[in-house]
Amino acid sequence: MLVSYNWLKDFIELDQDPKDLAEKITRTGVEIAEVKHPEEGMKKMVVGHIIDCEPVAGTHLNLTHVDVGESETHQIVCGAPNVAAGEDVVVALPGARIANNVKIKKSKLRGIESNGMICGLQEIGFPDNVVPEKYANGIYVFPQDADLKPGQSAFEPLGMDDYIFDFDITPNRADTLSMEGSAYEVGAIIDTPVRVEDITLKEDGPDWTQDFTVDVDPELAPKFYLRKISNVKIGDSPLWLQRRLWNAGIRPINNVVDVTNYIMLLTGQPMHSYDARAFKTNKLVVRKAEKNEKLTLLNNKEVDLDPNDIVITNGEEVVMMAGVMGGLNSEIEADTTDVLLESAIFDPTLIRKAALRHANRTEASSRYEKGVNWDATTKALDMAAFLLRNDASGKIDQGVITGSAEKRQPVQIKTTISYINKVLGTAISPTEIAAIFSRLNFKAEINSDELTVDVPARRWDISIPADLVEEVGRLYGYDNIKSTQPVLAETHGGYSKTEETIRHIKDIVRGQGLIEAISYSLTSPEKAIAFTKEPKKLVKVQMPLNSSRSTLRQNLMTGLVDAVGYNMARKQNQLAIFEQGRVYDFDNNTYNEHEHLATLYTGNAFFENWQHDNEKIDFFFVKGQLTNLFLAMGIDLNDVEYKAEIIMAMHPTRTAGIYIKGNYVGMIGMIGRPVTETSKTMKGNEIYGYELDLDIIVPLILNPQTTAQTAPKFPAIERDLSILVDQDVANQTVEDVIKANGGKYLHDLRIIDVYRGSHIADDKKSFAYRLTFLNENDTLTDSVVNEAVNSIDSSLEKQLKAEIR
Amino acid sequence: MDLFDRLKELREKGLDEIDKAKNEEKLNDVRVKLTGRKSELTTILHSMKDIDPSDRREVGQRVNKLRDLFNSKLDDAKTEIVEALVEEQLEKEKIDVTLPGREMHLGTKHPINIILDDLEKYFIGMGYKVVQGPEIETDHYCFEMMNLPKDHPARDMQETFYIDAEDLLRSQTSGDQARVLEKHDFAKGPLKMVGPGKVYRRDDDDATHSHQFMQMEGLVVDKNITMGDLKGTLELMAKHIFGQDRETRLRPSYFPFTEPSVEMDVSCFNCNGKGCSICKYTGWIEVLGAGMVHPNVLQNAGVDPNVYGGFAFGVGLDRFAILKYGIDDIRDFYTNDVRFLEQFSREER
Repeated sequence: MLVSYNWLKDFIELDQDPKDLAEKITRTGVEIAEVKHPEEGMKKMVVGHIIDCEPVAGTHLNLTHVDVGESETHQIVCGAPNVAAGEDVVVALPGARIANNVKIKKSKLRGIESNGMICGLQEIGFPDNVVPEKYANGIYVFPQDADLKPGQSAFEPLGMDDYIFDFDITPNRADTLSMEGSAYEVGAIIDTPVRVEDITLKEDGPDWTQDFTVDVDPELAPKFYLRKISNVKIGDSPLWLQRRLWNAGIRPINNVVDVTNYIMLLTGQPMHSYDARAFKTNKLVVRKAEKNEKLTLLNNKEVDLDPNDIVITNGEEVVMMAGVMGGLNSEIEADTTDVLLESAIFDPTLIRKAALRHANRTEASSRYEKGVNWDATTKALDMAAFLLRNDASGKIDQGVITGSAEKRQPVQIKTTISYINKVLGTAISPTEIAAIFSRLNFKAEINSDELTVDVPARRWDISIPADLVEEVGRLYGYDNIKSTQPVLAETHGGYSKTEETIRHIKDIVRGQGLIEAISYSLTSPEKAIAFTKEPKKLVKVQMPLNSSRSTLRQNLMTGLVDAVGYNMARKQNQLAIFEQGRVYDFDNNTYNEHEHLATLYTGNAFFENWQHDNEKIDFFFVKGQLTNLFLAMGIDLNDVEYKAEIIMAMHPTRTAGIYIKGNYVGMIGMIGRPVTETSKTMKGNEIYGYELDLDIIVPLILNPQTTAQTAPKFPAIERDLSILVDQDVANQTVEDVIKANGGKYLHDLRIIDVYRGSHIADDKKSFAYRLTFLNENDTLTDSVVNEAVNSIDSSLEKQLKAEIR
Repeated sequence: MDLFDRLKELREKGLDEIDKAKNEEKLNDVRVKLTGRKSELTTILHSMKDIDPSDRREVGQRVNKLRDLFNSKLDDAKTEIVEALVEEQLEKEKIDVTLPGREMHLGTKHPINIILDDLEKYFIGMGYKVVQGPEIETDHYCFEMMNLPKDHPARDMQETFYIDAEDLLRSQTSGDQARVLEKHDFAKGPLKMVGPGKVYRRDDDDATHSHQFMQMEGLVVDKNITMGDLKGTLELMAKHIFGQDRETRLRPSYFPFTEPSVEMDVSCFNCNGKGCSICKYTGWIEVLGAGMVHPNVLQNAGVDPNVYGGFAFGVGLDRFAILKYGIDDIRDFYTNDVRFLEQFSREER
């Protein structure tokens, strides 16, 4: 809501600096997003009276002489189509500054001297959406009745001397979406009495209520009142009203529509005016729209009405989308004589949904959705009628037709002074609290500690004691509340054990040189289950923003692959990134979230260097990193097993499932060529990574129990073993045999060479291992070691047909 | 020849040979020749019986002296040779220390997590536990329990990603409050928690909107918690994150789950409150929302609002990072450009 400082003066004595006042309102009531002073940055603009106006031959220009209150008239050349003798206009004198810091100088146009400029409203800073339509493409012309003197500043009549406060309200403070509401709020804040006028209307037309019926569903419109004004003369509104409208961001249209908008600004009650000719049926019905009904709105938008839209009909056809916007078929037109005035309250949710559904939010609908003052409906109706008589010379027909008039219980709240002080942490006295409620114009009764407050209907946001705490707190001033720290029994802060473990894992991975990424959880259905061994049922959102963000991911890898693609497109080809986050699925009849960790590497282990000392990242580099991670996590490597596996979107012969104690915990491998080769940026690159399910791994390492052991005192003995086996024998198989037969002193086993090639048969390969034997309690003898090695050798020969070399 | 002359001759020749021996091997030969078991000096000593008894003492002394001389000269020569060798070796091993080293990748924390970890550590130090809730949340916990009525705009399909009629991607971490309040045993002491996590809203992604972002919820409930406590807690946190010299102010605001509700602003870091484009010429920057827990929220979770009360606050971690590091596009957090992510490593603690 744009609140005019000058208009506020109708209600309160104001002598505060507008900017200081705005700061006070922000701290105490409603945030003021901005204070606008329209004339700021402009100068030397006056009212001018055009004495004469002649076309300049061969051009679209006119030569005018304008009385600007000086001894001589100013000769001004003007190109506007609507310039004419006799008009009162805005003149920027030589030396003036208009909008956008443009300076006006004496100049010559087509050789004709021009001493100033006659301005259109946009040229002096008015936004397009408030400029009256007939002045949209020309100069502005003051209304005849404006009572202006040539030479007087143009700022005051145009309302540019005002200060406009942009009330950026929270949904509970819709009471300030009106001048009266704002005045109550500002008055309370600066502790100044507020004068809000009521009206007693004298009707001067015939009774119309016998000939017209109104049929309202009170579920849709709990309050509905109608008046008739006859014999109106459509024209422009008086200037004072127009400037109040445009300063509030509303375009003046005509003296009838303007009145309804003005009353809405004044009271917060949306009003609507219909041309009575739309109701030849003498009937008005408020109901829900039917299927296939259509309506062309005042903004020329044709809408297909929804069965949940509330509509106003004349019993035969729809004439308005209730609470949102009128129909073109009941519009006030230049020849309108009789007007039906509506003041009503509609169901807020239905109005909000209708405005949203038809993308047609209006000043009226936004007030209805946030709530309006239950007690202002008839007052607004009468004030509008009064103004229509004044501004449009209409007659107010006798009687109001009431379609519905639901009552609301007045709100009374009982609480205690001590409760308020306890919550705020203050010691505000009963007298001070009484004073605060008097500033708010709430009736408050205090009986020692007991406090009873009657809340006026205009503050429908207040219903429980906590609401009163807020009123007292903010008006007492949050600045005046002393900052303290909670004094509580001791609490033990910290992370859960699981989270601590996950954080430790992230620290290790970061220490390994990986950059942490965060990707979107929503992805496409295809990506959601790529890189996933056993996809579960997809979890999709009902109304995705787009198809690539419709489904919750079941793996982190897909986000990292996207990130690699993004980076490679920016020539970043040496990458090591990780993400720790959740994946989501639907399984066992419930939604599940699992903590995962994924990494992705590509390029070289080292950055390019002058020594050309480098290592291309491959499967085994990444596996080494993972092995280090497992070690650092405290996982016994003997429990870890890798099995060649085929996983969607991964390289089919370079991918392994990872098992710990027989449980599948994740996978490691190369991103499949169909993924990389179809991407312009990733093409030709080998990208490796792994993904782990921390929900399975973390419990395994949650409670490490290390009992210290002294470092071995006896020397170890190393033996190398070289064997020849068939091509299809995996290292793991050989290691398993060695471990099973190496005896109790086999301490460490490490593969040190793999060879395939010309020195051995085509279907064979050679493995070399280093075996370390250690007896922690005694010196090992050669014979013990030899016995173990012999046992290994013979087992390898027997079980794998290995040839010992 | 006189034995004395012979010794003189031996001395000169010997010294000359030591001088000429330029490597360890030759020097060793010379040592054997001059002082070894088969050297002339040894021979002389062994044949003392053949020497005139009156000369014996003199000869003996001279031979020993000469041997001492040789030994000392040989030692010196050896030292010299070794030193020269070391020198030569070191010269060979010399490197250009100004050449660059081989760099590996440097791991970094995501900027949002830098802020989050900092806040978590800060609150843990003050006795808060860190609580994690589900991201696939129910309408019940996300909204109903948090005092958002059925027709509240946040519960619209337009605003929140619904999965089915009851399940949704949480649009706020507040649901964690309800879950913890339900479980907490107040007989065992007050509740102090922070709840960080991802949240989702149906906003199209642009420079200032993201359909996914991170929040952190804070909640303290006990018998005597005041708004002064909230103010003090928020002020200290804001100063911890944005600097001890920042000023703060509370403004009335509105959230369905708190009453009274406030928002906190800090004085603009860019202009120090004078007014600039970053603070939209107000001198203040909004950083968080907070308030005293709404009685309905306590009631809904089975906590008696007549006995217990407390405060809650919610922090947008993306927003904190944006403000603290001067980031101008929220999408930068989620596109994972490594050049963007790397620059925050110096902020890690």
